[in-house]
Amino acid sequence: MRSLDAGQDAALTLVAAPAGYGKSTAVRAWCASKNAPFAWVTLDAGDNDPVRLWRYVATAVERVRGGLGRTSLQRLAVSGGAVEAAIDELINGITAYGGEVVIVLDDLHVLHDEQCLGSLDYLLEHLVSTTRVVAITRSDPRLALPRLRARGALCELRADELAFTTGEANELLVARGGISLEQPEIDALRRRTEGWPAALYLALLWLRNLDDPSSAVREFGARHRFVADFLADEVLGALEADLRGFVSRASVLGRFTPPLCDAVLERVDSTAVLAELERSNLFVRRLERGHWYTIHSLLAEYATLQLASEDPDAIRNIHQRAATWLRDHGMPVEAVGHAAAAGDHAVVAELLVEHHLTLLRSGNAATLLKWVRTLPDDCVAERPELAAAGATAAATVGQHGLERRRLLHLADRARTEHPERWTPYAEAVAAMVRASMVDGGVESAVSAGRRAVALSASEDDVAVAALAGYAGALYLAGAIDEAWAVASLAVEHPDAERRPGTALARSTLALVATEREWLEAARGHAESAKSMVGRIGINRTWLGANAAAALGVLFTAEGQHGEAERELAGAEHFFRDEIASLHHAWVLVLLARVRSRRGRLEEAQATLRAAIDELAQLGDCGRVPSLIAEVEREVGAARARALEGAALEAPTGAELAVLQLLPSELTTRQIGSALFLSPNTVRSHARVLYRKLGVNSRSEAVARAEALGLLDGTQSSG
Amino acid sequence: MPGRIYRLVVEGELSDRVGPAFEGFSLVREDGSTVLVGPVRDQAELQGLLNRISDFGLTLLSATAIDNRSPG
Repeated sequence: MRSLDAGQDAALTLVAAPAGYGKSTAVRAWCASKNAPFAWVTLDAGDNDPVRLWRYVATAVERVRGGLGRTSLQRLAVSGGAVEAAIDELINGITAYGGEVVIVLDDLHVLHDEQCLGSLDYLLEHLVSTTRVVAITRSDPRLALPRLRARGALCELRADELAFTTGEANELLVARGGISLEQPEIDALRRRTEGWPAALYLALLWLRNLDDPSSAVREFGARHRFVADFLADEVLGALEADLRGFVSRASVLGRFTPPLCDAVLERVDSTAVLAELERSNLFVRRLERGHWYTIHSLLAEYATLQLASEDPDAIRNIHQRAATWLRDHGMPVEAVGHAAAAGDHAVVAELLVEHHLTLLRSGNAATLLKWVRTLPDDCVAERPELAAAGATAAATVGQHGLERRRLLHLADRARTEHPERWTPYAEAVAAMVRASMVDGGVESAVSAGRRAVALSASEDDVAVAALAGYAGALYLAGAIDEAWAVASLAVEHPDAERRPGTALARSTLALVATEREWLEAARGHAESAKSMVGRIGINRTWLGANAAAALGVLFTAEGQHGEAERELAGAEHFFRDEIASLHHAWVLVLLARVRSRRGRLEEAQATLRAAIDELAQLGDCGRVPSLIAEVEREVGAARARALEGAALEAPTGAELAVLQLLPSELTTRQIGSALFLSPNTVRSHARVLYRKLGVNSRSEAVARAEALGLLDGTQSSG
Repeated sequence: MPGRIYRLVVEGELSDRVGPAFEGFSLVREDGSTVLVGPVRDQAELQGLLNRISDFGLTLLSATAIDNRSPG
C-alpha cells in the first residue's frame, strides 16, 4: 500500500509480476482505500487497436464522473486513427475537473500493438500532476520506461514487494486461517514458496484440512517439487469427488455462467456451487460483466491437466457441449472457440458461415480469418460461402495476399467439386474480392466488379461491397467519371451506414473529387471514410489504408505535406502484402510525390524506384504507370531547380547544425531544444541559410542542400 | 525455415501430470529443476512456450537451442 502511495508524483505506477501475485487484488484494495476516483480498464487482446483502446479508457473515465470523457469520445468518433487529439481532450477534461484521478490499466501485457503503446507513451508524456496511471501487467511493457525513470515519473511495484513476508504469511495462515503452525514452520513455508501469494493461498487450503499441518510443512519443505504443482494436486485431491469434478470441468470452460455449467456438466445446482466456491475463496471469481465467472488461471491449468489424465475424452465432450450451448444462446464467437478446441471442424465451419456477415460488419474480420485458417482445405472447399467469406476477411484485413489467393482457389474448387452447393451469393462475393484487390490486373478487376454488381442485384448483402469494389477498380483503371457514379450508388444504398464497403466507396469519391479539384466535397468524403473505419475499429486494415490514402491525396492537393506524408505512410504500411500489390505500388508513388514536395528528393527517388520494382511484378496496372511518369517528371524538375544558381557563401558551423535538422519533422522549438538554442536563434540561422542557398522555404532549402551535398549522408551530385 | 530442438530448464520438479501441457516435449526431473526437450518450429512457437511456462507460474532458468545439424 505504501508503495502505491509513494507513487503519488509518478505519472506511471507499474505493477509487474507473474500470475498469482495478487496484483489486481492489491490495486483494488488500494483504490478502495483512497478518496480519489479511479477508472478501471481491464484490457484484452481485442484492445490492440488505438481507437478501441482509447474509447474504452475514455468511457471508463466518463463513468468516473460524467463529462470528463465526453469530448474525447466525440473526438474519437470523428478523427479515426489520430488518437493524440482524443488523448489531449481526455487530459483537458480531467484537468478541468481539477481533482485527482487514477486510471488503472489491468492486464497491460496483452497490448502489443506499436501504435497503442506509442499512444500510451504520449499520454504519459502529457499527463498533469493530478492524474496517475497504474498499469498491472505480467511482463514489462514496451513503453518508454527508461525515459520515465530518468524523469522520476516511474514508480514500480514488483514481485519482490508483492511477495508475502513472514509476517504476512503468518497473518494469512495462522491469524486468519486458524492453522496451528510454529514460527519456524511459517518461515520454512515462506522460504519454500518464496512468498508467492498464490502458493500460500493454496497452502492455506491444503493445510486447513490436515490433522497435523506441522509435519506436512516440514516434509513439504524438504522436497524439490515445484510448489504450485504439488499444492494444486493436494488441494484438488482434498476436495470431495463431486466438487473436484466441478472445478476441473469448469476450468476447461475457461469462462462460464451457472446455466452454461448446468448444461455442460449435467447438473442443476451450479448457481449454488459457484456461490459457495466464491465464498470459500477457492479461486473462483466473478468477472465484471453479468454472471460470468472464471477460475484463477493457475489452478485452472493444473485442474485441466488432472482431468486430462483421469478422463481423456471428458475435455473434448466439455468443449462440444459448450459450443452447442453457446451457439443456442446467441454467443457464436465464444461457441467457435470451443468447437475449435474440440476439433470439430464441421461445427466451426457452420458457425462461421452462419455468422460471417456479423463478424465482417462489426470489425471482426481478423477473428473470422483466424478461425478459417484453422480449418483443413477439404472442409472449406465443401462450403463455397465459407471460402468466399474467408477470402473477404483476408482482403479486408490486408497483408494476407497468399491466404486470400488460397481461399479464392478453394472457392473455385468448391464450384467445380460441389456445383450443387455453389450459390450466386458465393459467386458475387468471390467476384467482389477479385475486383477490390485487383489480383490479376486492372481490366480483369473491372470485369469482376461488373459481374459482382450484376449478381448483387439479387444478393443485397453484397451490394455495397460489390459497388465499392467495382468503383475502386474503375478508379485505378482511370475511368474516374464511372468510378464516381458507381461509388455514389454504394453510399446511397439504404443500408450503407452499416456496411464497411461504404468506407471504400467514400475513399474513391474523395479521390475523384480531389482530382476534379472539388476540395470541399473531397474533404467531406475523406473524413467520412476515416471516421467510419475508426468507428468500426478497422483503421489498421486494408480498408483503413484506403481511407488514409484518400485523405493523404487530399492533404497533398491542399499543400499540407506533413499531414499528407503521415497518412500515406500509414496507408503504405497496411497495403504491404506478401505478394506484389497494385495498391501498395500506387501509394508508394503518392508518397514519392509528397516527399519530393517536401524537398527530400533522394528519398523520393528511392520510393519511386520501389514502386517501379513492384509494378514490374504485376501485369496490367491501369493508370499507375502514367502516374509514375508524372511524378518522375516532377522530381526531375525539382532536382534541376535545386541545382540552379551560382556557388554560394558557405554556411557557418552553427548554421550547418540547423541545416542537418531541417529535413526532419522537428519544429523550430524542437530543433532549438536539440541544439540548446532558443527558437529565435534557430529562426535567424534559418533565415541566413535560406539567403545563402537562394531559397524561400524550408522544403526548398532541404532540396537545395541535398542536391549540393551539404546534408550528412547524401552524395554530392553533378 | 527449419525448426530447432530446444532445451528448457525450469525451477522446481514437475510431476509427469504436467507433461501434456508441453506437447512434444520430454520431461526429465533433475535435482531441484525440470528439463524439457523438444522441437520448436519457429520463434513464434518458442514465444508461445515461454508464455505457457509463465502461465504455470514457473521460473525459467535457461533456454538453449540444441543444434542437431551435423557440422561441415
